[in-house]
Amino acid sequence: MADTLDLQDIQGLIIRGYGNLRAACYLLLEINSPAAAKLWLSALANAITSGQAKPEEKAVNVAFTYTGIKKLGLEPALATMFSNEFITGMATPHRSLLLGDVEESSPMQWSWGGPDTKPIDMVLILFAVNDTKLADIYKGYTNEFTTNGLLEILKLETVDLGDKEHFGFHDGISQPMIEDLSQAKTSPMDRIKAGEFLLGYPNEYGLYTDRPVLKPALDPKGLLPRARGGSGNVDFGRNGSYLVFRQLRQDVRSFWQFLDEATKNPDGSSNPATRLKLASQVVGRWPSGAPLLQTPDQDDPRLADANNFAYYQTDPYGCNCPIGAHVRRANPRDSLDPEPGSAQSIAIGKRHRILRRGREYGPPIDQAELLSIKKTIAEDQERGLHFLCLNANISRQFEFVQHTWVNNPHFNGLYDDADPIIGTHSSDGSTFTIQAQPVRKRLTSLPRFVSVVGGAYFFMPGIKAIHYLAGL
Amino acid sequence: MTQQVALTIITKIKPGETEDIKQLLKTMRKNVAQNDIISFSKLSTVHFARLMVLEASVDLNGALISPSLVFIAECDAPLDRLLNALASMTGEGLDTIYCHCEDYPADDARTHARRLTYLRAHMVKAQAFYVNTVGRMVQQIHQEAQLRNAIQDFLDRSQQDWSGHAALEVRTKIQAFLRSEQTLSWAHNPPSQPGFFFKMKETLHLVGVPLLLLVLLPVLILILPLWLLLLRIHELSDAAPDVKPDEAHIEELANLEDFGAQNQFSAIGYIKSGWFRRLTVLGILLAADYGTRHIFNKENLAGIKTIHFARWVVIDGQRRVIFASNYDGSLESYMDDFIDKVAWGLNAVFSNGVGYPKTNWLILDGAKDEQAFKDYIRVHQIPTQVWYSAYDCLTALNIANNAKIRAGLFNTMNEAEAEQWLRLL
Repeated sequence: MADTLDLQDIQGLIIRGYGNLRAACYLLLEINSPAAAKLWLSALANAITSGQAKPEEKAVNVAFTYTGIKKLGLEPALATMFSNEFITGMATPHRSLLLGDVEESSPMQWSWGGPDTKPIDMVLILFAVNDTKLADIYKGYTNEFTTNGLLEILKLETVDLGDKEHFGFHDGISQPMIEDLSQAKTSPMDRIKAGEFLLGYPNEYGLYTDRPVLKPALDPKGLLPRARGGSGNVDFGRNGSYLVFRQLRQDVRSFWQFLDEATKNPDGSSNPATRLKLASQVVGRWPSGAPLLQTPDQDDPRLADANNFAYYQTDPYGCNCPIGAHVRRANPRDSLDPEPGSAQSIAIGKRHRILRRGREYGPPIDQAELLSIKKTIAEDQERGLHFLCLNANISRQFEFVQHTWVNNPHFNGLYDDADPIIGTHSSDGSTFTIQAQPVRKRLTSLPRFVSVVGGAYFFMPGIKAIHYLAGL
Repeated sequence: MTQQVALTIITKIKPGETEDIKQLLKTMRKNVAQNDIISFSKLSTVHFARLMVLEASVDLNGALISPSLVFIAECDAPLDRLLNALASMTGEGLDTIYCHCEDYPADDARTHARRLTYLRAHMVKAQAFYVNTVGRMVQQIHQEAQLRNAIQDFLDRSQQDWSGHAALEVRTKIQAFLRSEQTLSWAHNPPSQPGFFFKMKETLHLVGVPLLLLVLLPVLILILPLWLLLLRIHELSDAAPDVKPDEAHIEELANLEDFGAQNQFSAIGYIKSGWFRRLTVLGILLAADYGTRHIFNKENLAGIKTIHFARWVVIDGQRRVIFASNYDGSLESYMDDFIDKVAWGLNAVFSNGVGYPKTNWLILDGAKDEQAFKDYIRVHQIPTQVWYSAYDCLTALNIANNAKIRAGLFNTMNEAEAEQWLRLL
């Protein structure tokens, strides 16, 4: 039986990125008094923006860490039905190895979410049409925290850079689309089963991802949706999604200065055209967003949003878009085994998609002094990306993409090439190979351009489930 | 002789000494390649090796199986070379571990010959052994990696930009460089091939098994419907598993994973009770043995190219099966590969084990139940306390690519072929 999306119960951020609401901030909160916090939460639940209609003024969404959900009093037997990744969190020693959160990205150094920082119980996410409006909304909430048993640990601001990110590239072009919401123009490769992003719906295997499912007796007020499949149970997870949140610091200066050095003319002068091309090879798209696959020699703004393409037929060897380029590994489309270019390759790729909802933070860099002034990352102003993504299975989606594709030095037959722009370039993975005729070029000893400064796994429940939590 | 061999040695641990062994293994883990007990890097024919403890366990009939120590190695033939090297480890060597195992020669009786006898006496045969590429020796893998690095450095050093040059011209320059390198002179010759007797044996097996089946065909045709009927009865009556791995177990396993390009996997499980499942699993493993020897013997296990070695060993009087493998990537990617590419094969073998997700007609469903299968994997996985890899920075794809670079070094090529060869770099 077809199961329609319950948009009124799904938090809006899962359905849309609120592109029209240009201002946003993330409030990391600790729950000091669960009783008071639950009263507050039951009022908040009515104010949460659902996926039903596109908000024009403002939006509010909320998500909880495992410690937060436990503090609110979800039965331990139910709480353990969440995934192991969510329960144990982003900062365990093994997970740090898996995600490449080592050296300067180690959780020991994080400003939030690490073992030495205050525990985060929830994140309140606020959006508004402009900064003034956002400040108003923020003020309304922050004044109430203390009396409601909450402590604001950190307010993470964002900045509006249009559709560019700090390195200067058009970002967020390729997004999977929940099948039920997809439009005629959505590429078939991007149409993904709802269950990949929402619990309580069938996923790309045609199965339901594990989630807390309760005996009806535990929901006497009948707040929660029924579990699908006729068990008679109620579904705490339905319409919810796991939110992966990582604060990524970008060393923009070092990125462009490294590329400048690598492309200098024999006489020692800079070569802006070659530099730009190399940067675009690193990314896999030109600054406008035009894919190198389709226009390998120069940028073409007409292709800025081009996304309906596969790699193998046009560029099996990576001569247009390098095999290790950022976009070709974050979403390899049809590039991978068992048979590149085949429907099976695409079908397997569909099990490793994430909905990205990130926003930039920190002041944009002054272009005039980008190349001329040397500063270490510590001396520079901090800027980067609040990377947020949603998925139903953190291990098979976000962690797989991060470990097996993005940060894997051996991705797709390579040897020592982690993602050239966001990868960990430590003892290994610091080479960037550019496939070419007659033979490859390569850059070696890439420094690290992006480091992690904070992060956590959250669960973004359905609105009914928030009412349920508030009533515990 | 250049084929690879699976060594499995299983020894009972003396009562109360399991913790002592675990402590020793923990010490070894600090420096697996060069430790005082077994210095693996000195064992030049070993690809991978592991040591692990099988904890005490109660079988399906309530009988106790006491703890044992498992030593596993994937090595180049002849096996005797490895056994001799192990037996000659004196002082801090083998004795330190095996003195905690039953029947090990007493203090004053530990000679090379006695150790050798002990190891041989405790060897267990693997029912099926998958080798990524039969005949590719440790030395060859190291040499070909060195060759690739030398060519890459040469290309970087001599010229940043080769555009505008013909492929044949670049290739000629690489060849000239290699001719000038004395340390790479071995690369002028092809790698050594498995010996005549090995090839002969494999060919006989390749032909002999189908011939035998042909002879037995009338009987098999009679048995088949009966077997299918029994299979369905068993499948329909088997309970669906409902066991989740506990957090502490996952943590213990995860802490031994993801240190480099490769990982180990070790698991143990009971064969479902009754003669039917026991015979079925033995039959399927015979088929698996045939498949790995004659079909999946070069770089590809039914679409999966990330497994270096894998084996199944039936132990404890056909009550339990050990599965051990060496693979590239994370456990998540390994399991996803299994589900997406060879669910049928896993189902055929593992569905005869207790706790496996329900199958239909032996090969359908089962592993396709993603999360039930992943839970099954973690529940049955056991910690590999010591694990060694002779080439931990190389994936199976890297190794295969290196072999292709070497194979195409000095043969005659036209421009198009040269272009194709240069793409390997």
